[in-house]
Amino acid sequence: MNLERDGDYITLSMGPHHPATHGVLRLEVTTDGEVITACKPDIGYLHRSIEKIAENLEWYQFVPYTDRVDYVCAMNSNHAWVCAVEALLATGAETKLEIPERAQYIRVLFAELNRISSHMIGLGAMTMDMGAFTPFIHAIGQRELVNDIFEKTCGARLTYNYMCVGGVVRDLHPGAEDEARAFLDGLEKVMREFHALITTNNIFVGRLAGVAPVSAADALSYGLSGPNLRGSGIDFDLRRDKPYGIYDRFRFDVPVGKRFAGDRGALGDGYDRFVCRSLEVQESIRICRQVLDQMPPASGKEDDPVGGWCVSKAAQKALRKPPVGEIYFRCENPRGETGYHLVSDGTKVPYRAKIRTGSFCALSIFEKICPGLMIADLVALIGSFDIVLPEVDR
Amino acid sequence: MTLSVGPVSDSLAAWFAGRGIPALPSEILAIAVVCALPVLGIVFPIAGVAQYFERKIAGGVQRRKGPMVGANGIVDLVCDLLLFWQPRWKRRAFARSLERAPVLGPVLGLVRRWGLGAIAADGVKMFLKEDMAPEGADKLLFFGSTYVALLGSFLAFAVFPFSQSFHMGDPPVAALYLGAVTGLVAVSILKAGWSSNNKWSHFGGIRAVAMIVSYETPITLSIATVCMWSGTMSLQGIVAAQFRPGILSFTGWNLFQSPFLALVAGVYYVAALAECNRAPFDLSEGESELVGGFHTEYSGLRWGLFFIAEYSDMILVGGIFATLFLGGYQSPFLEDRIVALPPLAEALVHTAIVCAKFLASIGFMMWIRWTLPRFRIDQVMNLAWTKLVPLALLCLFGTALTQLWLSGRVPVAPVVHGRYLSAPVVRPDLLSWAISWIVVGGLLAALVVWAKKEGSPKPAQVRKLLGEEGA
Amino acid sequence: MSSVPSRNPSRGKALSFEELLAKVQEGFPTVKAGSAPNGARWIAVEAASLLEVARHLKSEPSLSFGSLCCLSGVDLLKFPPPAEKDGPASDQLVCAYDLHSVEHGHELRLKVSVPPERASVPSVETVWGVAGFFEREIFDLYGIEFRGHHDLRRLLMPPDWIGHPLRKDYEYPVHYADWELKREGQAFESGPYK
Repeated sequence: MNLERDGDYITLSMGPHHPATHGVLRLEVTTDGEVITACKPDIGYLHRSIEKIAENLEWYQFVPYTDRVDYVCAMNSNHAWVCAVEALLATGAETKLEIPERAQYIRVLFAELNRISSHMIGLGAMTMDMGAFTPFIHAIGQRELVNDIFEKTCGARLTYNYMCVGGVVRDLHPGAEDEARAFLDGLEKVMREFHALITTNNIFVGRLAGVAPVSAADALSYGLSGPNLRGSGIDFDLRRDKPYGIYDRFRFDVPVGKRFAGDRGALGDGYDRFVCRSLEVQESIRICRQVLDQMPPASGKEDDPVGGWCVSKAAQKALRKPPVGEIYFRCENPRGETGYHLVSDGTKVPYRAKIRTGSFCALSIFEKICPGLMIADLVALIGSFDIVLPEVDR
Repeated sequence: MTLSVGPVSDSLAAWFAGRGIPALPSEILAIAVVCALPVLGIVFPIAGVAQYFERKIAGGVQRRKGPMVGANGIVDLVCDLLLFWQPRWKRRAFARSLERAPVLGPVLGLVRRWGLGAIAADGVKMFLKEDMAPEGADKLLFFGSTYVALLGSFLAFAVFPFSQSFHMGDPPVAALYLGAVTGLVAVSILKAGWSSNNKWSHFGGIRAVAMIVSYETPITLSIATVCMWSGTMSLQGIVAAQFRPGILSFTGWNLFQSPFLALVAGVYYVAALAECNRAPFDLSEGESELVGGFHTEYSGLRWGLFFIAEYSDMILVGGIFATLFLGGYQSPFLEDRIVALPPLAEALVHTAIVCAKFLASIGFMMWIRWTLPRFRIDQVMNLAWTKLVPLALLCLFGTALTQLWLSGRVPVAPVVHGRYLSAPVVRPDLLSWAISWIVVGGLLAALVVWAKKEGSPKPAQVRKLLGEEGA
Repeated sequence: MSSVPSRNPSRGKALSFEELLAKVQEGFPTVKAGSAPNGARWIAVEAASLLEVARHLKSEPSLSFGSLCCLSGVDLLKFPPPAEKDGPASDQLVCAYDLHSVEHGHELRLKVSVPPERASVPSVETVWGVAGFFEREIFDLYGIEFRGHHDLRRLLMPPDWIGHPLRKDYEYPVHYADWELKREGQAFESGPYK
């Protein structure tokens, strides 16, 4: 296609108020009719200087801010921060925090439940952006059930502030495990209906198949991670390959993209990412069930090594004098890799906390792959990368 | 000379004359009532409350209740107005006591149970919103496009037969007129998009024009097929040609006459969905992409009028589908008894039947909207030009061949249906009907099965998602 | 529960830090190893040779660092003086590149230090595409100029913002556009929560 004409180009500003940009994202789109010739993301509308705030708060005080880094999967964001700080403490000579077993299991359970509910939004919002409203409603209904469980345990439905350095803030509420099991059973049924409705629908596949496929080399080079990377055919999952917490105790498969749309698709197109994300939900259900089977019972004592939920006193003591140095710690968030580059100068306040998020890197590829797409494809692309703006802007 | 459009207007004019109104004005008044009543009394109210039904159907599909608004606010308002001199607590007590009143009580209970107050709430909201145009908008086009949209659908109702005597006119070129007049919607959407001074609305307008103009062709071809089969372009004539005496009157319906006609009915329905800008073809108003598309900058009643235009378009399209393929206002059983009723009774029964048919069609369209995702503009054009038009042409050709073949086997004679005489038409006898359905229908079914097998099989992971065995 | 049997796909050979350092020093003798008191280690690279080192790290088959996980900036203005000799230099702006190889599984950190007055580093955008965004962010928040970047402008802050917020000597603006950001009686300086 010849894109070298003069004039006749329309410059559109898609956003920051737009139903399909999943937040306050502005895309400066130059189009030739419906076909895009250039697309430049313009971000910063949700920049809250979280990294600067981190330099003014103590290590354990920063946890609520990590909720807001990605509020769709706040538990995973919490998990990433507390694991990063604990890993930093572990590099020091004196401080060895022994997180209680039960706290570790609760962390994984809630992280995976939040992964499920985050994918509900990711998958549901993607289908809604393409005009199918009903699967979104099914998915959101399931997310509400997860939020109910979280609300009963920690009191919040969106930004939980539940994990802390040393464990979790309080134990599970009574009956949480049964509720989780009941939820997982119901979720499987609803997801089957969700997929029957949309996944093999000709129109849906036609919208996503072969649209802006991302090659494996590009995916690596542009820092894609999580389902975005696996959708391009690269078999890499931080939970399996660089396990943190107790992820090495669980069996789960890692779905990898394989040109699921058949002849009209391509490896690394939106449909591959969609199917990878959907399969991840099933794997998360599997992990949750294993966690529920293996979790030690509550002992009632906070810092009991097996059945307790937090070694808060030891953690507070350790955090007053963390080791001097730095660490880069990576966690598998639903949207990709969340990495914390922490620099500590030995005081109770971080010297530098850099947050590297999956959506930020996913947005960096837009300038390259958008030319040649149509506007409707751009909307589908944003949805298939599952970009949320709080992660991008921090 | 008396002005008349049928026995109903005659009897109505006589009734007016009996009340003391002079002859000519009473005839004019009778005609005005008979002609305007279907549109103002049926189409407009249905389009007005269709928004509520759409949301309720959405709730049904999505396993939730949909809009639930009781009538408390309205009852309170009415009591405030009627009993303005009473203190507030007395007015409120009276309002609450109405729920125990003999007739009003159950009605209010129904309103609360079904949330019917949403209809009033929507209406009041639309009236009360500020009527404004964006800065730099072309005011004439901006305000005029709403009216043109309404025109586009209401003009077509001029030829729509609600019953033997309830129609505004029965020109011999009604089908041609229909195709011409429904194109006005495209003009109105383009005007709305352009005059909003908003690039996104402009996109919506352009997409709509491209889509509506493309889908005019399959629609016209399907209408042409039916006109060819029925031998006339007059809608009353087409309805008359589908008449069969006896209990099972639906055997005369065009949908069942030949598999080609059934196919072309499908083509018509899909193309009509596109004409109405309904999902999966709602990319001109595509909420997720263009915010509101062509109607982004409209608020309040003007926006409401766009939607009334869209719903009355749906009614029109459903009604035309019923007229062309489902026997129009004829009942599926015992049509010959109904046609023999006195004129007013016959008119009422027939109007009720055609209303039921187009309401079913609208319900189906709403069901489709909440199930299917949206097409992209190039896929829409692809569908129209590379799939629907060849299919419609094939059906046109096939119908012509069927007619040719049948005219050698069965008598070609006009059909008498009440006041109307159809053109000479072929009516397949049982053997020919069976042969055509088995041969052609079988070929098409085999084609579909072959296409499904040849297409890409579902990969194992997708089967796993669907919960199918063998994943 | 027993550890999971090897489900990991067959990977190449993951090198340790010493082996990686040796390999890099073969081609670029000027690079040095650095370490922090908590055991973190990195390769300190001169700004001038950064681009070649990056290309080498990506293309060399036994290294194959195809993915830049994180590019973060650090302002060492207020960092306490190093206890060891080869700790991080002081009063410098540092760019820390965290690299990862999916094929082999090893990780590496590169560090480039530049003085704040002449903060200029070659861009590695042509090697790892994601650096396009990372470098724009560091330019925005630290003021380091990346030579060779195709479109170096502010990313998170508004285009007419003055100053580089994440620097340790950043002064909060008193007004922006036509807003007064400092009000009477309001505490203006941020600091660690006491």
